[in-house]
Amino acid sequence: MYEWLKSIPLFWGKIIAVVLFAGIVIWAWFRPKEYIYKEAPDKRWWRDLRIWTTVLLALQIIIYLSF
Amino acid sequence: MEIGGIDLVIVIAYLAAIPFFGFYFKKYVKTEKDYFLAGKMLPWWVISMSIIGTNIGAYDYMGAAGGAYRFGIAQAHYEWIGAVPAIVLSALLFVPYYWKAGVYTVPEFLGKRYNTAVRVIEALLWGTFLACVLGVFFWAAGLMLNEYLGIPVELSLIITAVIVGIYTITGGLAAVAMTDVVQLLVMFIGGVALTVLGLWTVGGWSGLVDKIAPANPDHFKLFLPLDNPTYPWLGMIFGLALVLSPAWWCCHQAIIQRTLGARSEWDAKAGMMFAAFPKMFIPVLVVLPGLLALALNPNLAGPEMDKAFPWLIKNLLPTGLAGLVFAAFMAALISSVDSTLNSAATLWTRDIYQRFFVKKASDKHYLKVGRILTLVFVLWAILFAPITKKFPGIYVAMQTLLSIFQGPTFAITLLGIYWKRANQWGGLFGLLGGVSISASLFFFTDWSFLYIAWWSFVGALLITVIVSLLTKPDPVEKLEGLVYGLVIKDKSIQDALKKRAEIDQEV
Repeated sequence: MYEWLKSIPLFWGKIIAVVLFAGIVIWAWFRPKEYIYKEAPDKRWWRDLRIWTTVLLALQIIIYLSF
Repeated sequence: MEIGGIDLVIVIAYLAAIPFFGFYFKKYVKTEKDYFLAGKMLPWWVISMSIIGTNIGAYDYMGAAGGAYRFGIAQAHYEWIGAVPAIVLSALLFVPYYWKAGVYTVPEFLGKRYNTAVRVIEALLWGTFLACVLGVFFWAAGLMLNEYLGIPVELSLIITAVIVGIYTITGGLAAVAMTDVVQLLVMFIGGVALTVLGLWTVGGWSGLVDKIAPANPDHFKLFLPLDNPTYPWLGMIFGLALVLSPAWWCCHQAIIQRTLGARSEWDAKAGMMFAAFPKMFIPVLVVLPGLLALALNPNLAGPEMDKAFPWLIKNLLPTGLAGLVFAAFMAALISSVDSTLNSAATLWTRDIYQRFFVKKASDKHYLKVGRILTLVFVLWAILFAPITKKFPGIYVAMQTLLSIFQGPTFAITLLGIYWKRANQWGGLFGLLGGVSISASLFFFTDWSFLYIAWWSFVGALLITVIVSLLTKPDPVEKLEGLVYGLVIKDKSIQDALKKRAEIDQEV
C-alpha cells in the first residue's frame, strides 16, 4: 500500500489542493445571501464574505500552482 | 548577544507601553461578560488581528525558520493549506453557531449539544493544556529577556508576569484583544524590516533562489515526497489540511473566544475570516528568514538549524533594527501569553467553577473569580516555568497530547453542528473512542502524528454515527439553536436560546 502511494506523482498534491480550494469557493457561493450578511451594518458589496472567500482562495490557488 | 543603546531604548519603551495601553481598558469591565467576552463589543478587525496575534508565538519564529532552513518553503503549508481553508470553514460553518448559542467556551457549547461528561472532558483537556503551555511561554520569555537584555531569568519571569498580568487581570479580553492589535503591528513591522533587509543583502528573490536551489533543489517546492519525515505530501493534505488545521481553527478555545466577543454575528464571521489575510503573509515573517539564513550561512547543522532566526538577527541587523525585531519577537510571545491566560481563566471559571462549585452567584462574584484565577495562573506560570527547563520535551508532550484529542474533538463538533441525529451518547463514545484510537496508534506504531490525526478523526466520526443510530435521538428542543437546519428560523430559535439560558441560570 505504502509503496503504491509512493508511486503517485507529486503533482497530484497540487491537483488535490487546487480542487480543495476551488471546492470551498463554490460551496461558499451556495451560502444564502441573508446568511452571509446576517447582522451586517449594511449590505455593501465588500461585506459579502463570499467575495472574501474567493479572493483568499484564489491567492492560495496561485501560490500552490506557482511552487 | 545583548542589545544596547537605541535598541535597548526601543525594547524598554515597547515593554513599558504595552501594560499601560492594556490597563486603559479596565474601565470597560463591569461584568463577567465584559471580562471574558469584552462585553460582546469587539469589531471584526480587532478580532482578526487578535486571532493572529494569539496564533503566532515566539516558537513559530524559531521553529518555522528552522523548518524552512531544513526543508524549505514546504514549512509554509502550516500558514497556507494548513490554515486558510480551515479559517474560511470556521468563519462560515462553526463561528455562527457558537456565537448564536451565547456560550463563553467551546466545551460549554459541546456540553449543551451533547452532555456534561463531554463538556468536562474537553474543559479539563483544554484547561490543563493551556495552563502547562503558559509555563512554557513564560520560560521562553524569561530566556529571551535574559539572552538579549542580560536580566537574570528569575527576574525576567517576574517582569513578564507584571507586564502581562497588569492588563490581563484588570482588563480581560478587551485589553488582551486591543493589545494584540498593537503587537501584531509591531510583529509585522519588525518582521518585514528583517525580511526586506535580508532580501536586499542576498540580491532579491532571484538571488535567494540562485544561492539555495543548486544545493537544495526541493527547497522551493511545496509538496515533498512521502518519505520526507516532517512534510510528506499526503500527510499535509489529509492530516494537516483536513483534520488538524480545522480542529485548531474551529475548536481552539483561545482562537474562538475572540469571535464570541464579537458585537454581531457578521463581525464574528468576518473577524475570523479576515484573519486569513495576515495569516497568508506570516511566511514572510517566519519562513523567509529561514531561507535567508540558509543563503547567507549554509553551515548550520543539526539542532543549530533551529537557531537560524537568532543567527539572522545577530549577523544581519544594524543598530536600531535589532531592537525593533526583538520587540517583534517579544510581541509574538506576549500576545500568545495574554490570550492563553485569559482563555485558561475563562475555561476554569465557566466550565469547572461555575458548573461544579458555585452555580448561582452574582455577576460580580464570577468577575472576581475570573480575575483571581487569572492571577493564580500568572503565579502558577512563574512557578511552573523553571520546571519546563528540567523537562525540555514538555512542550512537545503537551502538543502531542493535544493532537491525540484534536481529531476526535473536531469529529464530534462537526457532527454536532451538522447532523441533528448525533446524540449525547454518540458524542461521548465518539470522543472516547477516537482518543483511544489515536492513543493506540501513538503508542503502538511509528506513524507520523499527521496520519494518526486523520485516522482518529475517521474513527471518531464512525463511532459517533454508529452509537447515535443505535441509541435514542435527543429531543428537538435540546438541539434548537445549536444544529444546522434548526437555526435558520430565527424567531423560534431566539426563543429556544432564551429559554435554555433561563434553564442554565436555574441549574
